Amino acid sequence: MSSARRAAAEAWAFRARVEQEAALRFDRLAEVVASFDPDSPVPAMMRRAADDERRHTELCARLAGRLGNPVVLDRDAAVAAIAPRSLDERKAALYEVVAACCITETESMATLTTLLASEQDPEVREVLHAISRDEVVHSRMGWAHLSRESVAAEVAFLGPLVPGMLAGTIDAGLFGAPPADEDPEGLLRLGVLSLSKKRAVFLGTLEQVVFPGLEKFGVDPEPGRRWLAHAAGLR
Amino acid sequence: MHFKKLFQVLVLGGAFLGAAAGCAQANAADKDKKPPADAGTTDSSGGGVKGW
Repeated sequence: MSSARRAAAEAWAFRARVEQEAALRFDRLAEVVASFDPDSPVPAMMRRAADDERRHTELCARLAGRLGNPVVLDRDAAVAAIAPRSLDERKAALYEVVAACCITETESMATLTTLLASEQDPEVREVLHAISRDEVVHSRMGWAHLSRESVAAEVAFLGPLVPGMLAGTIDAGLFGAPPADEDPEGLLRLGVLSLSKKRAVFLGTLEQVVFPGLEKFGVDPEPGRRWLAHAAGLR
Repeated sequence: MHFKKLFQVLVLGGAFLGAAAGCAQANAADKDKKPPADAGTTDSSGGGVKGW
């Protein structure tokens, strides 16, 4: 098996688990948000997103299997809440929505659009297209919730907490050296970005989409920017 | 990569969707609610969500 195929099989298997966790998280958050903001369109979006993510789980797992890495998903999986324990329920929900949607789903959307700008194997491209159609909404629902909360509640508490969200989002090796046998072109054909491209997309998305978005709704992006400069060795 | 377009589609598009329904209400009970004691566990600073 080629290095690209092996790495891509692992990436798609990882994505299957990520999508499974997202489905569980959106189901839970939909209930919480509806409890304090019954007029919000976000809970309904989250319930649809949970269904999308279950479909994505199957797509990613099937592709991982065809690439040689069969995925065994835990059907009884649970996903832990990630907000600091000091936050009340409403603030904890906002924390988790920002981390999951405004940051992670926005980064996923940037990754997908970058991938789709290149050539892939037909089956891979079909899966990328199917997922990208849904991920737009998954990111938007985070920004929708943050914008509503910025009017109705206090959101500035999030600023100092953004570094924790970012640290929990990245892989440990994102700012390290690529594997010696990395095949960027081969990876791209199988729907995976090389490490340098992945890093560039991550940084560009934070600097030009996520941080300006947070600032627009009253969340200080400077703690996140300082964390990024340190993590990426930019200072 | 068109980050400017992503900002418009995702951030501004999301805000538009959020504003399309009635405004969220401040919850007085939330404002008055004392946060639970943080026992100083390792998750006291919160975590993140892995993605693609």
